[in-house]
Amino acid sequence: MRILIVEDEPDLLSGLAQALREEGYAVDTANDGEDGFYKAENYEYDAIVLDVMLPKLDGWQILGRLRKIKKTPVLMLTARDQSRDRVRGLDTGADDYVVKPFDLPELFARLRALIRRSKNKGTNVFQIGEVKIDMAARNVFLKGAPIELTAREYSLVEFLALHCGEVVTRTQLYEHLFDENDDTFSNLLDVHVSNVRKKLGADFIVTRRGHGYSIE
Amino acid sequence: MNLFKSIKWRLQIWYGLILMVVLVALGYTACALQRNLLFNRVDGELQRRFSVLADALHPHPPGGGRRPFDGPPPDGMPDDFPPPDHEPGGFELPPQDEALFDPNEPHHFYFVILGRDGKEIGSSTNADAALNSKVSTEVLEQENAPPRIIPDRRSMPPSFYSNQGRVLARVLPSGETVWVGCSIVPELNALQNTMFWLVGAGMIILLFGLAGGWWISSRAIRPVENISATAVRISAGDLSQRINVAETESELGRLAAVLNSTFARLESAFAQQKQFASDAAHELRTPVSVILTQAQTALARERDAKDYRQTVEACQRAAQRMRKLISALLELARLDAGQEPLKRLSFDLGKTITECVELVRPLADERGIRMSADAAPLEITGDAEKLSLVVTNLLTNAIEYNHDGGEVKVATHREDNMAVLTVSDTGRGIPPEDLPRVFERFYRADRSRSSGNAGLGLAISKAIVSAHGGTIEVASEEHAGAVFTVRLPV
Repeated sequence: MRILIVEDEPDLLSGLAQALREEGYAVDTANDGEDGFYKAENYEYDAIVLDVMLPKLDGWQILGRLRKIKKTPVLMLTARDQSRDRVRGLDTGADDYVVKPFDLPELFARLRALIRRSKNKGTNVFQIGEVKIDMAARNVFLKGAPIELTAREYSLVEFLALHCGEVVTRTQLYEHLFDENDDTFSNLLDVHVSNVRKKLGADFIVTRRGHGYSIE
Repeated sequence: MNLFKSIKWRLQIWYGLILMVVLVALGYTACALQRNLLFNRVDGELQRRFSVLADALHPHPPGGGRRPFDGPPPDGMPDDFPPPDHEPGGFELPPQDEALFDPNEPHHFYFVILGRDGKEIGSSTNADAALNSKVSTEVLEQENAPPRIIPDRRSMPPSFYSNQGRVLARVLPSGETVWVGCSIVPELNALQNTMFWLVGAGMIILLFGLAGGWWISSRAIRPVENISATAVRISAGDLSQRINVAETESELGRLAAVLNSTFARLESAFAQQKQFASDAAHELRTPVSVILTQAQTALARERDAKDYRQTVEACQRAAQRMRKLISALLELARLDAGQEPLKRLSFDLGKTITECVELVRPLADERGIRMSADAAPLEITGDAEKLSLVVTNLLTNAIEYNHDGGEVKVATHREDNMAVLTVSDTGRGIPPEDLPRVFERFYRADRSRSSGNAGLGLAISKAIVSAHGGTIEVASEEHAGAVFTVRLPV
């Protein structure tokens, strides 16, 4: 999953980005409104964490413009907690609204819920064949036994599971599993796919030659 | 409400009293006029009859000529003066004049004529009855002829009050006394009638008047009640209420307008306070958020010393921001409450400026900004510490919003009895829409927080300057720098 954080307070931005990366997300950052909108417009994100008070272009404006072209889930982050601010946020097109200071675990849970909703999956727990994926706990079980996955491997599994039944192209995987800070090596993706297959079974991930991958 | 305190009732009582006085005066006048009219008429009748009797006593000599009582002759008394006496009872009223003394006529005119010796010469048929009725009578007299002795059997004590009869009595120059009298009972009845009607009408008018007055004073008072009801609603907490001025015009309209503007000021002051408190809390959220997120992230797994160090430094930065914010807020709160009376000591503003300039020089040097201070000695009275806060604030703003390599100029001079301080910079200036608001609390031209500035510096400066009785203003054009001018009483 690839997340964009738009926040102008540098310590908060860096802290949040680090926390999300450690959770296994690919994270892009922007510290002003223009840069944030540019990135949101031009890249595919699974979710955007958007602060309201930004220099150059504020959160409301970004949201307004973005909604005309994309349905990316947006979680608004702000110090304004009046009901009318929440209403405005939600009505302008935000999918959730979190007030600072926030509890990190809660933020993570809300992000997960956002992403889950946007992929139309109602539950956190997926059973695919003998593999069980618990997205809340970020655990994967094979035949009941917990399996160790690296963050990237888990992200891959999670992404494919959320698109269960669909074919996911390599490009999509690149866009959603890697962030601007990663070097783009095609091979890396193959390595991850191969590792997951080793851990969860060779036919867990199905290759569609010329199209991409999928989980059935 | 106590009857005497209520304006409505007082108005009513006064109004009622005045109306009553007016009505009584009117009524009295009307009665008096009518009395005059009636009595004049009666007196005219009496006079007529008197002339008739006088004529009958001493008929005009045929062919004209003077009669003995027509007044003194131009050349002394005539030879046959005085004329011969009549005999007692010898007077007869000519028949054509009998109608004048008709006993059936309601006035009961009567006459009595006395000779020179006081003996009765003649009287009308009803004279005895009239005279014996012992009613009090008002006697009208001619100036130069006081009545003669009244015969015993006729007692007619004149009295002024409750007269029911009127008598005209005159002594003729020939010596006879002629009494002509009548009963004025018809007149008295008429007067009484009139008085009843007047009193009745007066009471009805008074009642209507009181009712009308009550209605008018109610209407006049209603706007006041309106105003007080609105004021009650406002003091109960709803500051958005206003008095409906359309209902209260004229003098009360002015009162309503003044009250409305007071309420508006109150409301805006409260709103400002609320806004201030909410902005203050708001400003603290982000630094707290930083600390929380950094701490939670750092504690999520094992870290090495370098990571912990970074986290702790970030927390420190946030905590410093909060510290500055808190002390700025406290300062503002103290200035607002006027708790600390300002120190009023004499000090050299020029020296203070020099010190502040030195204080911020490192900041300026970092950005290659030149600072020039024309700080001649200038004695003023005030709180040196607080005013140096103001100077420092203006200087740091001038540096912060400046371009690299720009310039900051500080100057002082005296104008009348004011010390004037100007701080100008060559920075990016202030856009016109922000210009009137720069001194507001938490107002930042660039609405984000990234500059680390909470937007309180100018607000505090303004509060300090105002507490000294001075003024602070700004002139600026976008992209063309800004000039802040502080005027302080010396």
